[in-house]
Amino acid sequence: MAELRSEEMVLNVGPQHPSTHGVFRLVVTLDGEQIVDADPVVGYLHRGTEKLAEDLQYTQIIPYTDRLDYLSSMLNNYALVHTVEYAMDLEVPARAEYLRIIVMELNRVASHLVFTGTYLLDLGAMSPFLYAFMERETIVELFNEICGARLTYNYMRVGGVKWDAPAGWLQKVRDFIPHMREKMRMYHNLISGNEIFLDRVKGIGVITQEDAISFAMSGVNLRSTGINWDLRKNVPYGIYDQFDFNVIVAEHGDCLDRYWIHMKEIEESLKIVEQALDKISEGPVLGKVPKMIRVPAGEYYRGIEGSRGELGVYIVSDGKDKPYRLKLRRPSFVNLQILKKMLIGQNMANLIAILGAVDIVLGEVDG
Amino acid sequence: MFHWESTPLTGLSFLGMVIGAVVVLLIALAVVTYAIYFERKFIGWMQLRIGPNRVGPFGLFQSFADILKLLIKEDVIPDKADRIMFLLAPVIAFVPSFMVLAVIPFSSTHVFTAGLNVGVLYYLAISAITILGVVLGGWASNNKYSLIGGMRSAAQMISYEIPLGLSIVGVVLLSGSLNMNVIVAHQAKMWFIIPQIIGFVVFIIAGLAELNRTPFDLPEAESELVAGYHTEYSGFRFAFFMLTEYVYAFALAALATTLFLGGWSGPFLPSWLWFVIKTAAVIFFLFWVRATMPRMRGDQLMSFAWKVLIPVALFNLLLTGGLYLL
Amino acid sequence: MSDEDNKQPEKQPDVAPPATATAKPAAKSAKAALPPDPRVVAAKATGEAMKATLDKQLGVTAVVEVSASKDVPILVIDKAYWVQAVQFLRDDALQSYDYLRMFSGTDYPNYIEIVIHLVSRKRNTALYVKTRTERDLAVVPSLTGLFQGVNWEEREVYDLLGVHFEGHPDLRRIMMWEGWKGYPLRKDYSPFEDLDERGGNV
Repeated sequence: MAELRSEEMVLNVGPQHPSTHGVFRLVVTLDGEQIVDADPVVGYLHRGTEKLAEDLQYTQIIPYTDRLDYLSSMLNNYALVHTVEYAMDLEVPARAEYLRIIVMELNRVASHLVFTGTYLLDLGAMSPFLYAFMERETIVELFNEICGARLTYNYMRVGGVKWDAPAGWLQKVRDFIPHMREKMRMYHNLISGNEIFLDRVKGIGVITQEDAISFAMSGVNLRSTGINWDLRKNVPYGIYDQFDFNVIVAEHGDCLDRYWIHMKEIEESLKIVEQALDKISEGPVLGKVPKMIRVPAGEYYRGIEGSRGELGVYIVSDGKDKPYRLKLRRPSFVNLQILKKMLIGQNMANLIAILGAVDIVLGEVDG
Repeated sequence: MFHWESTPLTGLSFLGMVIGAVVVLLIALAVVTYAIYFERKFIGWMQLRIGPNRVGPFGLFQSFADILKLLIKEDVIPDKADRIMFLLAPVIAFVPSFMVLAVIPFSSTHVFTAGLNVGVLYYLAISAITILGVVLGGWASNNKYSLIGGMRSAAQMISYEIPLGLSIVGVVLLSGSLNMNVIVAHQAKMWFIIPQIIGFVVFIIAGLAELNRTPFDLPEAESELVAGYHTEYSGFRFAFFMLTEYVYAFALAALATTLFLGGWSGPFLPSWLWFVIKTAAVIFFLFWVRATMPRMRGDQLMSFAWKVLIPVALFNLLLTGGLYLL
Repeated sequence: MSDEDNKQPEKQPDVAPPATATAKPAAKSAKAALPPDPRVVAAKATGEAMKATLDKQLGVTAVVEVSASKDVPILVIDKAYWVQAVQFLRDDALQSYDYLRMFSGTDYPNYIEIVIHLVSRKRNTALYVKTRTERDLAVVPSLTGLFQGVNWEEREVYDLLGVHFEGHPDLRRIMMWEGWKGYPLRKDYSPFEDLDERGGNV
C-alpha cells in the first residue's frame, strides 16, 4: 500500500479571533483536526500597570486596577485598597465594609453572568449571551448609581468607599435578589439540561488535582477539581467571616463542572448580598485616613478571592507615598498556563470549549 | 389543468417558460430578503431585543440596505488565492440552489412548476452540486479556516445526504411516484406527516444539517473557524453564498411542505396561500431552532448521522414497506 | 525627561531593604519609638525555627536572613540552595508548602530579589521565601521543576526585570516582544530613551 502523505498544519488562532475573548493568540499545530501542539502567546494588551504604579500615589493607582479584569473592577479595587489597609493597619468603618461586600458580590454575579453568556456563545448558542447581559445590565446600572460608572468604577478608597449608597439604592439591590434567583431558574431550564451542551462539555478539559496545585490555579478552576480552597473561607479577609455561605466544589475538573460552579456561585453571592443588606447600618463610609497615604516600609501581600481566582497585590514600600514595587498576582494569567497541557491531544472543536471554560480576561492576563 | 410538459414547444411557450423562470427567481429573491429580515426580527424578539428597526418602517428595508452594501463593496480577491476557482466557487454553489426550485409545486395550477417525473431525485442530485462550490471556495481561498470549514462542510453534507434521501423514500413508497405533483395529489386525504412521522423527523434533522444551520452550523462555526469556508469572501461573492444558504432554506421548507405537509392543498384559501403558510411555518421552525440550540461537535455530528439517523431512516423504510404490503 | 533621570539615582541610595526595615524599625523612621509589633515578633520566631530546620536539613547555612511582614515569616535563601530549599519546604511532611501563591521580583540598588509566597493548605500558614542575585549578571535557578505554574511567572520576571532562570524550559519574553531591549521594571530603565534602539518605534 502506498504511503499516505500527511502534513501538520500550523493554525494561528488570534490575536483577532471571535472567541479568544480579547487579543489573545494561540498557535496550534494540527494533525487533521487533532491538536498536537499549542503555544499561547500573550502580551498584546500589556500596559505595564506595575511599572506605572511605581510613579503613582496609592489612591491614584485605584483607577488603573479597574482596567485589569474589566469585568470585576470592584474586586480589583478592593484587592489594592485592602492590601494598603492591611499594611497600614487601618480600621474601615462598618458601613463601608458592608457596602464593599455588596458591590463586590454583585460584581462577582455580573462577572459570572458574562462567563455563562460568552461561554455559551462560544459553543454556538446565541440567546443565553443576551439573556445573561440583561441581568448584568441591571447590576451595572446599580453600580452606575452608586459610583457613576458602568465599567471602571474607581469606587473604593483606602479606608472605605468614595460614595455612600444613594437613597433607595439598598432597596433596589434587595429587589434585585429574588429577580435574579428567578432568572437563575430560567438559565438552568435553558442551558443546564441541554443534551448538545452537555455532550460538548462533559469530560472535556479535565484538570487533575496535582496539576491544579502545581500550576497554582485558583478560583473556579481549582475548585472544579475538588480542592476546597476559597480565600473568603480559608484566609478570611475583610468581614467575610461574618457571612454564611457555601464554597462550591465539584469533583471531575471538567468544563461542565466549571460551568456549574459559576452558576452555583452566583446563588452563593446572592446569599452574601442578602445577609449584608440585613446587617448594614448607618454610619460614615470613609474612615480616618491620613491626608497622604504612606505605607510603612516593608512588604505586604494580600490575596482576595476574585471572580477568576486569587487576586493578589504585593506591595514593596520604602515608606513613601508611592509603592517601590507593586506586583499584581493576576489569576487569569496564572490559570491560563495550563491551557497548553489541556489542549494537546484534543480535537480542534474542543479548543474553544476548553479555552472558554478557563475563564480569562485578557486585560488581566496581560497586566 | 395546465402542464408545461403537455404543451408543444413553440416560440410563445418558450417565452412563457423564460418569464416563469424569471418570476420564480424574483419570488425566491424576495423570499430570501424577507426571510433574512424575519429571521433577525424573530430571533431578536426571542432574545428580548428589537431587531432591525432603522431602515424603513419597522426596519422593513434593512435587507435591501444590506444587499446594496454588499453590492457596492470592493470585490477582494486574496493574493494567494486560486483566482479562477475562487471566482467560480460562489457560482457553482449558487446556481443549483435556484435550479431545485423548478420542481417545487407552488400552487395547484403548476404555472411555475416543471412536472418532472423524477422530481425528488432531481432535487437531491442538483442540490448535491452545491457541496462542490463550498469545498472549492474553502480550498481556493488559501486560508486555513476556510479549508477546515470547507472540509467539514463536505463531510457533513455528504453524510446527511443519505438520511435525507432515505427519509424521502418512505414518502415515495407511499405515493408510488417521484413526481412532486403526484405526491401532493396523494396527500388529499391525509398528509404524509402522519404515516411518515419518523421520516419527517429524520428529514427535518438531516435538512438542518444540509442547510448548515444551528445546531449543525459547524462549517461556519463563527467561534472556531471565524466564518468557515467563506472567510475570505467579501462583497457580492459573499452575498452569493448567503443567498445560496437562504434559497436552500426556502427550498427545503418548500420540499418539506410538499412531501409531508400536503403541499398546496388545503380548504377555503387559495392554494398558493396554503403553500406560503406551510412553508413559512417550516422556515420559522428553522429560526426557532437557531435561537435555542448550541452547536454540536464535529465527531458527535458524524456519529449522530451514521449511528442514529441512518438506522432510524432505514427502520422507517422497513416499517413503511411492511405496512404498505399489508 | 532630564528630571526623571536625575531623580532616579537620588532615590536609590535611601532605599533600605524593606525586609529588614519591618523587622528592625529602628532604622531612621519616626516609628522607632513604637514597641515592636507582637505579630512580627512571633513570626520572626517562627522564621528562626524554620531557618534552623532548613539549615540542618540541607547541611549548610542556606538561610541568610530571617525577618517578617506582619504575621508572615520571611526567609532569604542563598541562591545556591534556592531549589533545594523550596523543594524541602514543598515536600517535607511537616512543612508541606505545596501551593505557590505568588511569584515576584524586585529591583533594589544592589541586587535583584525574587520572592515567592508559599502556602501550606494543610496547616493554613503562609511564608515568603526569597533569594537574591546581583544586578549585572542576574541568574537564578528555575523553579519550573517544582511548580509548573511558575513557568510564565519566571518568563515575566525575565522579561521585565532581566533575571535569567537557569533550567527554564522556555525562557522567552512574554509581555514585550522578542527583540525588545532593556528591562522595564528595573529602576534605571527610562521609558523615553533609545526607543529606536529598543525596537520601540515599530
